[in-house]
Amino acid sequence: MDSSLAEAVRTDQLSPPNSEPARNALLIRDLRRVFLPRNGEAVAALAGISLTVRKGEVVAVLGPSGCGKSSMLRILAGLDTDFTGEIVWSLANAQTDDTRHLHSATVFQSDSTFPWMNIENNLKIGLTGLALDPAEAKSRTSRYLNLVGLGKFRKAYPHELSGGMRQRVAIARALATEPQLLLMDEPLAALDAQTRLVMQQELLRIWKETKSTVIYITHDIGEALMLADRVVVMTARPGRIKAVQDVPFGRDRDVVEMRANPAFGRLESELWRLVAEEVGHSLDKSNGAS
Amino acid sequence: MANTAFLMETDAVILPRKMKRARRARLLKQVVLGIGFPCLLLALWEIMAATGAIDRRFFPAPSTILSGMIALLKNPQERGQLLVDMGATYQRLIIGYLIGASIGIVSGITMGLSPTARYCLGPLVNATFPTPKLAIFPLLIVAFGLGDASKIALITLGVFYMTCISTLSGVLHSNPLHRDVAIAFRIPAWTRWSRIVVPAALPSIVTGLKLGLGQALILVVSAEFVAAQEGLGHFIWDSWQVLDVSRMFMGLIVVAITGGGAVLIGEGLERRLTPWAAR
Repeated sequence: MDSSLAEAVRTDQLSPPNSEPARNALLIRDLRRVFLPRNGEAVAALAGISLTVRKGEVVAVLGPSGCGKSSMLRILAGLDTDFTGEIVWSLANAQTDDTRHLHSATVFQSDSTFPWMNIENNLKIGLTGLALDPAEAKSRTSRYLNLVGLGKFRKAYPHELSGGMRQRVAIARALATEPQLLLMDEPLAALDAQTRLVMQQELLRIWKETKSTVIYITHDIGEALMLADRVVVMTARPGRIKAVQDVPFGRDRDVVEMRANPAFGRLESELWRLVAEEVGHSLDKSNGAS
Repeated sequence: MANTAFLMETDAVILPRKMKRARRARLLKQVVLGIGFPCLLLALWEIMAATGAIDRRFFPAPSTILSGMIALLKNPQERGQLLVDMGATYQRLIIGYLIGASIGIVSGITMGLSPTARYCLGPLVNATFPTPKLAIFPLLIVAFGLGDASKIALITLGVFYMTCISTLSGVLHSNPLHRDVAIAFRIPAWTRWSRIVVPAALPSIVTGLKLGLGQALILVVSAEFVAAQEGLGHFIWDSWQVLDVSRMFMGLIVVAITGGGAVLIGEGLERRLTPWAAR
């Protein structure tokens, strides 16, 4: 395992800048996380996650609730430092300037905009950790607001916008940091079904334009297939990778047509089966414990 | 076809008009009852006083009180005395409030910022908070003398607890997601505190400031009851002791108006500082 990863790193560094095949953007090696509840008995949340994400790839992480999806996201987002294992950020981005880009930028599940700032400042404050001159901060802000279709709402306040629009603000804020990895934690889960459908199509369009590398956490199997190039299925707690499914639909997708595609239906039921096993396991466990 | 279109058009005009009329009627009812019911109580009082159902020495008829108050306001010496008393009370109120609120907000934020400060001061503040502030007024007199300083210290103390505790809880219990965003986006510490933590705590801080206003008014009047040669509390107490009920009511009304004004100022502050928190 280790030697093959090292191999991957080496070939990647040797390849000249513009050569395809797909280059790796990020490498996660043997990520482990333990929680210490009040009774003092350590509970494993992540039991060794290893994953390589290619540049420009969208990876969906799917699993039953409590499987450690969120633990993994918090580690990658820099919100949790109590873990063992390794995250290598700079595989394909050896020259990336850390003062101009974040390693990872996160879009959270619920509304994370700051209600006391207008939309423009909500984006700008996300850039204060980078060393950008004001002109560039301004140009990035307007570029990404236009990208998510909120160019006209620069001076509006979050409470004047709908839930879907606020989530677009959060997406634009993350994109404006031009991160090596865009982390999305069920970003559409709080939206109504129609808005979610529209936003899925929007995400496909936005990613195509920004060529983002994305880890997308979700428990919605259809959404994972709709958006991702690869779907990672996690086991029930303690979280491991159970299966990795390639999604062979390319990047030009239409969320409405996709649902009518028989291949989509086949993959969906395949994934359903994998996830259902794990949900069953976790139910068994909680029954056994009680 | 043309007929239905016509019908719909009339509906579109009539229905909103109906709804507007209903809304206006509801508003009118609210205002009429809001003013009318207190007037009814006053009328009842007037009748009871006139018929001798209540003791007129303590509860003269509202009309008697009103004419007494008008006489008081017409008398330059009495009016001057009232103004002097108001001035004395307002001065103590404003100085004590400003000192108490500043110390309260600063220490609340400091305690929120630094666990060390929180561990040192938290138990102290929480343990002394439930003590009625008036109970330690004698102690304050010993420390600050009989003059203005002890009364200002009392107000400062009352306002301090309100603002400090509200500010601290605002800092500690604001949306944890905002903290996650600050960390995930590597927002620098100073930016984080000035543009995220403090604004997030602002609704609680304003609540503390509003509660402090009421607290300050209660404390200043009570302190002036006990130990003062001037001030609205003294004015009321003095009138009561000579059984000048009209004069006493004059004082009460000024205090009530001050309280009402304080509430309005508090609400204005809230709208201005935290427009996003408005429902």
